[in-house]
Amino acid sequence: MKTTYRIDFAEELKKCVRCGECRANCPIFSESKREPDSPRGRLALVKLLQEGKIPASVELSEKLYGCLLCKTCAVNCPSGVITDEIMVGVRDYLDDVLDRNIIKKLVLRGFLTRPALLQASFSLVKLYQKTGLNDVLTRSKLIEHLPEQMSVGAKILPDVSKQPARGRIPEVVKPYGEKRFRVAYFLGCATNLIYPDVAVSGVDVLARHGCEVVTPAVKCCGMPHLAYGDTDTAVQLAKNNIKILLSAQVDAVVTDCSSCSATLAESYLKLFEPGTDDYNQAKELSNKVYDLSKFLVEKTGVQPGPNPVNVTVTYHDPCHLKRGQNVFKQPRELLKAIPGVEFKEMKEADRCCGSAGSFSIMHHDLSMKVLERKISNIATAKATVVATSCPTCTMQLSYGLKKHGMAGQVVHPVQLLAKTYQKNS
Amino acid sequence: MSEKNQLVNDMQALLGPEKVISSKLERYTYTYDSSFLSQLNEFYPDVVVCPMNTEEVQSIMRYAYQHNIPVTPRGAGSGQTGGSVPVKGGIVLDLSGWTDIVEIDESNMQVVVRPGIVHADLNVALSPYGLFFPPDPGSSKMATIGGMVGNNASGLRAVKFGNTGQYVLGLEVVLPDGEVMKTGGLHSRALKSVSGINLTSLYVGSEGTLGVITQVRLKVLPKPPVRGILLTLFSSLDDAAATVLEVFKNGIIPSGIEILDDSGIKAANKFQPDLKLPEAEAALFFEINGSKAAVDFEGQQVKEIAEKRASSVEWATDAQRMAKLWQGRAVIGAASARVKEGATRIFCGEDVCFPMAKVPEALRRIKEIGAKHNTLVVIYGHIGDGNMHTAPIIDPLKPEEVQAAHRVADDIHQLALELEGSTTGEHGVGFTRSQFMVAEHGKALEIMRIIKDAIDPKGIMNPGKIWAER
Repeated sequence: MKTTYRIDFAEELKKCVRCGECRANCPIFSESKREPDSPRGRLALVKLLQEGKIPASVELSEKLYGCLLCKTCAVNCPSGVITDEIMVGVRDYLDDVLDRNIIKKLVLRGFLTRPALLQASFSLVKLYQKTGLNDVLTRSKLIEHLPEQMSVGAKILPDVSKQPARGRIPEVVKPYGEKRFRVAYFLGCATNLIYPDVAVSGVDVLARHGCEVVTPAVKCCGMPHLAYGDTDTAVQLAKNNIKILLSAQVDAVVTDCSSCSATLAESYLKLFEPGTDDYNQAKELSNKVYDLSKFLVEKTGVQPGPNPVNVTVTYHDPCHLKRGQNVFKQPRELLKAIPGVEFKEMKEADRCCGSAGSFSIMHHDLSMKVLERKISNIATAKATVVATSCPTCTMQLSYGLKKHGMAGQVVHPVQLLAKTYQKNS
Repeated sequence: MSEKNQLVNDMQALLGPEKVISSKLERYTYTYDSSFLSQLNEFYPDVVVCPMNTEEVQSIMRYAYQHNIPVTPRGAGSGQTGGSVPVKGGIVLDLSGWTDIVEIDESNMQVVVRPGIVHADLNVALSPYGLFFPPDPGSSKMATIGGMVGNNASGLRAVKFGNTGQYVLGLEVVLPDGEVMKTGGLHSRALKSVSGINLTSLYVGSEGTLGVITQVRLKVLPKPPVRGILLTLFSSLDDAAATVLEVFKNGIIPSGIEILDDSGIKAANKFQPDLKLPEAEAALFFEINGSKAAVDFEGQQVKEIAEKRASSVEWATDAQRMAKLWQGRAVIGAASARVKEGATRIFCGEDVCFPMAKVPEALRRIKEIGAKHNTLVVIYGHIGDGNMHTAPIIDPLKPEEVQAAHRVADDIHQLALELEGSTTGEHGVGFTRSQFMVAEHGKALEIMRIIKDAIDPKGIMNPGKIWAER
């Protein structure tokens, strides 16, 4: 099976001894309890495909898209099977040989490669929410008559009435005091359009920690494309972003979005042949990429402001940050450094919330079952604020809290840190 | 309509479509367990069903009995002998979703569960009561209690606590014709009973060949409040084995005594680098549990005995370190391949059991067998009861290495018989050991067959297992 995403299927698949350890930790299997929904089951099917014993098919594709790509099986696999990467690779293959859904194609290649168009489309969403049409459709239950994925999307998407971050953050932000680092802020699509306040806080906090911050005009990191098998587009996005970020002449590339940092630091390396210029540049970029909390804790040291933030906080580990980048201590350290914050660890903090990009829309019922467990763990922690470092996790957790009638707010850790610099926080 | 389509339709009518798996693609995921032989074949079931109560199992069995359709019960499919693989097709009963704990009877020290409950989950549920189910398979996180009973599994704590069978007080079994039977007394909550022929014991380890276990009444024990693990390293396998015997001679019974050979040590370090096991010919893990005074005293005694021969000794009581050490040992089954780049561990001939006095000889000869067939064999396992795991590490994409591994497995099984041991200490026979059963049991195998034929006259229960094809 030839794919753009660089993976040796035969070599990786043979590592699976079918011990079933992955049944113990897959969030999807733990809900369905059916072997075809286990990582082992999916790997067995990919092996059949790789050996030419079955053809690519829609049924196979649906099975393989049932994976959250949460990496839980991979990091716990005694045999070292990188199931999530195999899934990304096989989706790349299937995308080439099966007809892709036209809407998916439009979203991936049309909107997500064109920031201006994406922003314009969000203006329509904003209009939909602002006119009250969403409320009318919801109250009248007409929303249930929309195509399923649209009605689900309308339910999950939060208020997007705020101005996108890109218009609110100056191209160059000077540091408070002496310049210690020059940093590029990688502004991800979801942060920019859905949670712009996170980026505004992130840039401000970096400046307060002695960073000169530039916010280059990058495009989507390519994570959605990789997740949906459109690796060729991901390669184009990667080349574009690598060029822009390296030419920014910065000490570090920082982002608040764990999926973006995982893609920039890890996935790009899988798109190019080692030894080529593209690979070497991807490697150069990879070495500069930091999650925002990690950068603040490890590079600048956290310097909170004088104003306490008196809240009880728990933290949800995004899959791509904890298992993808081994970053889990730093956000907690950052939170604990904030005056006034009482930190409470929740049970299974690193268990996937079921969001997984658009998984919550494409596999809504299953995603909600995965979310139930997370919400129950949040409730047990008795925190008033849930901090996390991923916009889609934020969206999913916020929806879960609302759905269960729970008070509480979901924020990025840096938003709490930013409050320490404001009076009356 | 074909017979297979009719079967699927009839199962959907009996159980509802949501409990029936019929597509060929999905059925493929029920053709294997972790045995290597199951991966070299494609034993498709005609249909997979996921019953969630006894009545549903009864209706399936009545149908199968009437139509002479093979039925293979299955738990997590984490077995290593093909026991849950439908070698004759027919119906696979996936019982792993039926995870109910029916009752925790704290004051009578027993628990009643359905077959799909996972071992580790059961112990989590028992923990608030201060109780635990002692057998501890390395596959604790995925193995189901139904599968453990079917195979009479044991694992890392068998030295002190024995195997699953020692805890099974009674069973609910759906017989091949769909009738239900309760063993161990219809209403009994007794912890002992010698009333009648022990049918519970007959079913434990019968590998689904005599009926479908739908409920298990298990004895549970008070959870030992304190534990400690003594990690010891040796420059020779003989020294390790001699230390084990000396510990027993001093009247100490640790809850577990586990061994890793030199390759196993390397594999464990590669899987969990923070384990930091020093290089050695063998590592022994002694687990001691009980009251604090007993653990301190016995831990010190074992330490002193080990120090006579060991190159390094570490007494761990820190919970995190102990969990890491125990987990490092528990997952070595699958992690052993890490010792060789590009290779895979395969499960074949993997749980032979030797008499204690012959363990040193067995360890030496297993190494010789590996060398003879030019195959790396990682040795680890339960040295405290002579139950050794032997893991051939090969490249499964190279036919010559696969053939060599099969020869290694054959020789190791023969060695177990030659040294007056057993071909399987805890994983069962399945279809991967059936060729050794005559040599191991002689006339007794015939009697087993007579019992099987009496209970399952149509031979529909998990055919092709235990007994080699006639």
